[in-house]
Amino acid sequence: MGKSKKSIQIVILLAIVLIGVYAVATVVFGSDEVPKVGEKAANFELLGMDGNVHTMSEYEGKARVINFWGTYCPPCVREMPALQAQWEKWKDQGVEIVGINVGENKMTVENFVAQTGVKFPILMDPDRDAVASYGVGPMPTTFFVTASGKIHHIRIGELDLDTLDKQIEQLVKAK
Amino acid sequence: MNLIDFSGDAFVVSFLLYCASFIMYAIAVMGRRFRKREPEAHLAKWGKIAFVTASIGLIGHLLYFFTRWAGSGHVPVSNMYEFMSFLSMAIMIAFLVLYFIYKKSLLGLFALPLVILIMAYAAVFPQEVQPLIPSLQSYWLGIHVTLAALGDAFFAVGFIAGLMHLLRTVNFTATDKGARREQRWLELCMFAIVVLLGFILSVYSFRTAGYEAVFNQTQIDPKTETSKIVKVEYNMPPIVAPYQSETESMQSFLGMKSPLFEAPSWMHGVNAGRKLNTVIWSLVSGIILYGLLRLFIRRPIAKFIQPALNKLNPDDLDEISYRAIAIGFPVFTLGGLIFAMIWAEIAWGRFWGWDPKEVWALITWLFYSVYLHLRLSRGWQGKYSSWLSVIGFIVVMFTLVGVNLIIAGLHSYAGTD
Amino acid sequence: MSEGSKPLIQNTKCECGHQNPPGTVLCEACGKPLTKEAEAQQILEMRYDGVARRSQKANPGFIDKVWNFFSSVKVAIYLILLTLIGSSLGTILPQESTFLNIDPSVYYKEEYGQLGHIYYLLGLSHTYTSWWFVLLLVMIGASLVICSLDRVLPLYKALSRQRIPKHMSFLTRQRVVYQGTVEQDGAEWVERVKPLIKKKGYRVRTDGGTLLAEKQRFSRWGPYVLHIGLIIFLLAVLGRNLPGLHMDEHMAFPEGEPVHIKNTSYYLMNDGFKVEFYTEEDMPNEFKGKGKVLPKKFETEAILYVCESNCNTPGQEPQLKEVTRHNIEVNHPLNYKGLKAYQFDYDLTPILRTVSPMLIDSKTGEQYGKIDLSIKDPVREYKAGDYTLTLTQTFTDFGLGDDGKPVNLSPNPNAPAFLFLIKGPNLPADGIQYFYFPKQVDKERFQQDAINAQLAGGENLVTLDVLSMDDVDFAESTTYLNIRVDKAMPFIWVGAFIGMIGLVMGFYFHHRRIWLRVDDGTLTLGAHTNKNWFGLRREVAAILNQMNIEVDEKSLENNRGSQA
Repeated sequence: MGKSKKSIQIVILLAIVLIGVYAVATVVFGSDEVPKVGEKAANFELLGMDGNVHTMSEYEGKARVINFWGTYCPPCVREMPALQAQWEKWKDQGVEIVGINVGENKMTVENFVAQTGVKFPILMDPDRDAVASYGVGPMPTTFFVTASGKIHHIRIGELDLDTLDKQIEQLVKAK
Repeated sequence: MNLIDFSGDAFVVSFLLYCASFIMYAIAVMGRRFRKREPEAHLAKWGKIAFVTASIGLIGHLLYFFTRWAGSGHVPVSNMYEFMSFLSMAIMIAFLVLYFIYKKSLLGLFALPLVILIMAYAAVFPQEVQPLIPSLQSYWLGIHVTLAALGDAFFAVGFIAGLMHLLRTVNFTATDKGARREQRWLELCMFAIVVLLGFILSVYSFRTAGYEAVFNQTQIDPKTETSKIVKVEYNMPPIVAPYQSETESMQSFLGMKSPLFEAPSWMHGVNAGRKLNTVIWSLVSGIILYGLLRLFIRRPIAKFIQPALNKLNPDDLDEISYRAIAIGFPVFTLGGLIFAMIWAEIAWGRFWGWDPKEVWALITWLFYSVYLHLRLSRGWQGKYSSWLSVIGFIVVMFTLVGVNLIIAGLHSYAGTD
Repeated sequence: MSEGSKPLIQNTKCECGHQNPPGTVLCEACGKPLTKEAEAQQILEMRYDGVARRSQKANPGFIDKVWNFFSSVKVAIYLILLTLIGSSLGTILPQESTFLNIDPSVYYKEEYGQLGHIYYLLGLSHTYTSWWFVLLLVMIGASLVICSLDRVLPLYKALSRQRIPKHMSFLTRQRVVYQGTVEQDGAEWVERVKPLIKKKGYRVRTDGGTLLAEKQRFSRWGPYVLHIGLIIFLLAVLGRNLPGLHMDEHMAFPEGEPVHIKNTSYYLMNDGFKVEFYTEEDMPNEFKGKGKVLPKKFETEAILYVCESNCNTPGQEPQLKEVTRHNIEVNHPLNYKGLKAYQFDYDLTPILRTVSPMLIDSKTGEQYGKIDLSIKDPVREYKAGDYTLTLTQTFTDFGLGDDGKPVNLSPNPNAPAFLFLIKGPNLPADGIQYFYFPKQVDKERFQQDAINAQLAGGENLVTLDVLSMDDVDFAESTTYLNIRVDKAMPFIWVGAFIGMIGLVMGFYFHHRRIWLRVDDGTLTLGAHTNKNWFGLRREVAAILNQMNIEVDEKSLENNRGSQA
């Protein structure tokens, strides 16, 4: 009986320690699911400008640059040519650049794409589902995702050609 | 509106009856010394008369409550005036419950002044019926607030008995450090009560005199750095003017034609200056009142009161204090925490949100649970637990009044500032 | 108890022959004080009936030491006090969670100065989600479990196998004591008093000239029931954080459009929103004439749908089926299978959905035909009589950029604008450009007619205009609802309910016991309760008086330990 009492004590103390660690960990690291650098990038399922539904998993095995933008956001509009240029440079080297338009209708995006000559794939997130799962705050926000699906870098704010080029180089190296 | 008027009259009548009852209690304990009659019989007789008067007062108080309920269409606990009136009524009820268990009518000697003070404090606030905003339109308003107040009322009776225990047992002849300290702290409690009285008296005197002063205060929004002018009205002569303000109009008071100084910069809120001014006035009038009292009775108030209690058994007082808190604790838990959580879940969609009022209700609960655990330990009965009941009551009053005046949050009542 | 077989350092065998476990204060059988400390007490400390706590051991190891730490009431009291002080610190300044969208590292300094910044640096701006506060709660939980376990089992054993004859020193050191002479034989006297005690609600057992009467023993379990309730409550609070058990979203619902509730298969539609204000008459005098508005009622007529097919397929219309309707008001949330919607806020700005303007000849006023223009999701081509309209640019929130060119300011339809290319009879062969602002205010603000005249080369050939309000479809208002799922809630209420039962058991009932023995014509009575000694003395006095022993209630109090 003495033995079983001891093991009961150990079981209870262990349970308390586990629950305690869990409780403290959830408040310290937060239970919000906003992805951070080093974590796996969330999946999405969005309608593209090409009329097809695209998902994150479709690009598996490729390094990805996911750019959240809108026509109402001047820095987003300004960085479009840089993204287009880098897409042309890297598309044959296993790098995909994807623009996710936030909250606008097809017509607006279509007109914008036609005007600016953007050729890289544009997906539409009218209900901000991807925005929520990626925890996007101010725009533009760009996620650099490695071929294995891990977030390598998060850039908030406008990108110029050079930084974008360097970031993609690092991303390709990072694998 | 007739019902509301009637209810206001009932409030005044019950207030006067309570005052009368308090005077009779005073006669009961003081009178036995100068009368030739048998002191025991005198005490019993006048104690009984006082008790009956107080009970009739409570009937008046209940009448106030139910007629106001009928007249306004909601349980009258929705603003500071109604809440404080209800709290004083709940203290009377709690006093009655403890009276029926222990038959110690002398408890009323202290319960009544507390009830009277709280009622007078209630009447400081605007008394008109205010329509309810949507979040208060729920039967939980009545259930949660009344039950929480009833729990607090039992804590108040616990405080009364604890204070009586201290007044009864403090040794005024001893001069050692411990006894001295105890005498001083007890006298401080007495002083605090006198300051509260000073606050009420100064509010009423200036109100009767119709005093008014108006200031234009410059408020700066730290974010946008824009400023706006806010009008602040004082009903007491401004010893302190609001921070960064100009006098618009001011009646002179005893030759004082302008404020003596300005509130410090950290008190930049709209009403902070006025609140500070009120606090200063309460302290000033409290000190004057206390000085006069001391001049008149020529000894510390606590020492003056002590002989009135010498017929009471300290152990009984200790048990009454403990019992009152033990009765109040489940009531408070149910009304102040569980029902509060249920209502919060229905109204705001979360049962707990760490709103200051919620936190302070939790602090009250934690404090009394410490009290109850300490009671189990040897040596914590009597003196120490009486002190705890006094501190507990301060926590209760801070939760009820202090949070609204200083911190506020979701629970702010109309008319608190 | 197995300890009996082990060699013990402390001799805990009582003179009555009972072998007690180490740590026992009062003999489990006869109640005789065993420790020197207890022996010195004038009135016995009756906590837990003097039994050994489960954890008390002769040689504590590491596990035992941790266990003993949490098993101590003193530690529990310190933990409660620390929690109390910690939570009060959190009320000094508003917590971060009370603000939407602030950067606390700047906000506290700006708003409250240097002290506010220190408050933030100390982590007090999120007191209730700080590691130390949660750790304190966990430790309180541990203390609740271990304290209770350690005491409830031995207490249960002690109370369920009480012996009737008690040691003389046990009886005379109770707080309620009576000693006196009786004429009769012990056993006979006891038999005579038995029904009298029974009448007071006691369960009475006798053993020769000794008696034990007891009532409301269950109240002793009150504190432990409360502790169980609190543990369930705390675990439920913790469980809310588990993924999937909890959702808390604030969403906008423009009137008349089903909106998908994320991560569920539900859609909710605002079928009409109403807000009422108190009239001037309802207001108290102090508010009158001050222009104060006091809301009386907010109400959203909500319809909840469940999606049956095409749910998560972008670009396809989901198939919805109505499951419930409810008028959501403050204090009256919608609740459907744990999905709750609370009235949170509203916006009375109308939102255009579709307009059907008529294409009119500006000179003759001839009406060529109507087009149906969806604001949110327009199509490319429109036909109005012989005319074709091609949408070339769209704006949701029209504005002019720094360079004077039209830009889109936001994705919200605050100032929608459409640029058409119109072709048809009497128009230039490659058509004319035409800007259309559906909102009247925007037409004036951006001078639609002037722009169009310029675009057409000097004069307006055609005009797009809405002829009647029937041609405008708009959401009158938007309601903001707080959508919540909280699957742990039932456990929270169960915990609270159990705790409440424990409180009622422990505080409104009092365990009372009376022991008595008659030795050679001397009656010795001792009585114990945990609360309400006053009531116990009254009962004992009444019983003795009925046995023709005149005693005053007050005289039953044991004066040996009294301070007075």
